Amino acid sequence: MFILNPNSGIPIYRQILEQVRRQIASGQLKPGDEMPSVREIAVSHAVNPMTISKAYSLLQAEGLLEHNRGKPMTVASRSRAQSPVSRRLEQIEPLVSQVALAARQLQLSQAEVIRLLRGKWEQDDE
Amino acid sequence: MNEPAVQASRLRKSFGPRDVLHDLSFEVRPGEVIGVLGKNGAGKTTLLELMLGYSTPSSGEVRIFGAESQRMPGDVKRRVGFVPQQDELLYQLTVAEQLRVIASFYPKWDHELISRLCGAWGVDPQARIKSMSVGERQKLSIMLAFGHRPDLLILDEPVASLDPLARRQFLEQLVELSAEGQRAVVFSSHIVSDIERLASRIWILKEGRLFWEGDLESLKESVSRLHIRFGGATVPNFEIPGVINQRAQAQSVTAVVRDWTPAIQQSFEERYSVTVEQESLGLEEIFLELHR
Repeated sequence: MFILNPNSGIPIYRQILEQVRRQIASGQLKPGDEMPSVREIAVSHAVNPMTISKAYSLLQAEGLLEHNRGKPMTVASRSRAQSPVSRRLEQIEPLVSQVALAARQLQLSQAEVIRLLRGKWEQDDE
Repeated sequence: MNEPAVQASRLRKSFGPRDVLHDLSFEVRPGEVIGVLGKNGAGKTTLLELMLGYSTPSSGEVRIFGAESQRMPGDVKRRVGFVPQQDELLYQLTVAEQLRVIASFYPKWDHELISRLCGAWGVDPQARIKSMSVGERQKLSIMLAFGHRPDLLILDEPVASLDPLARRQFLEQLVELSAEGQRAVVFSSHIVSDIERLASRIWILKEGRLFWEGDLESLKESVSRLHIRFGGATVPNFEIPGVINQRAQAQSVTAVVRDWTPAIQQSFEERYSVTVEQESLGLEEIFLELHR
């Protein structure tokens, strides 16, 4: 459920934070959905369990996840199914600026990049 | 119960006139996984051997669960597991015999874990150690260190001769062991990505000193690389806040900095009329940059 890249400059706990936030914002993760246990993620990705618990507790503090004693971590019921477009846009903003930068470095026009994006989009819709 | 697993104060080791470790002070708490990085000869093995009481510090001391490392009583020794860089196996024995020898020292030996690992790692209990490959011997050394479920696990280059599959299995097993609460792990490796996965804290040893000590996340969040572009042909005479190193190329300067923020960036760009692109770095890159 997570794509973790330990070699990236982005700390693993932040990779988890971003992915969970995104999945909740988009409604892919719904209130009440169970999250995999810290141990499960740690063993399957071979990463330190404390890193995962750190991400989970930050998400809990944000009110996105909740934890009832002895039960698995779940997506908080109060986290509305889908957050407003502006919030969701905020989350892909960093990715878009990376694309914009690369496009400028490659001297690609806006139209060319937009065409590529549109193509990807339609490909995924099929 | 929450005593430090390892506590070193002003630890120094010299071999003849050569100081291998200078004045190290540190603590390892239960639950921490320390990844030790350093070039060859940086003092990693010397440090781990001092922790185990295999050698005597030239000055200072290191305590393991409160006991001086060279004078650990039996009950403290039994809380420590060690995977040496070069195995210390008895080559004339079979795997099963070697396991029995070691298990006999530990009242709480986990036979079930060991037979599970033998199965998972493809180690034949009937095999004679002298006929096994280096990788198989390393797997066995790791099992011997895991078998008594030590509270402090010290590993010196544990994966150097393992193939990628065995390495991954080893890492998963180490995660399982360290997930059992209050175990402290100190491991050195040149495979930076393994340290990146497992370590909660990083020690970077450089010429016998703890050059960097801190948690991996703050290291990654603190150190980044800047690509500074300027218009003219000559490098502007700027001072980069928090710079660790910098290299000039045509029309740009690459710099590695500590604690760069958007606010710093903005004032820097305005002051020198340059554009700055910030790149975050993985641990391997950080390690290399800190050694430039």
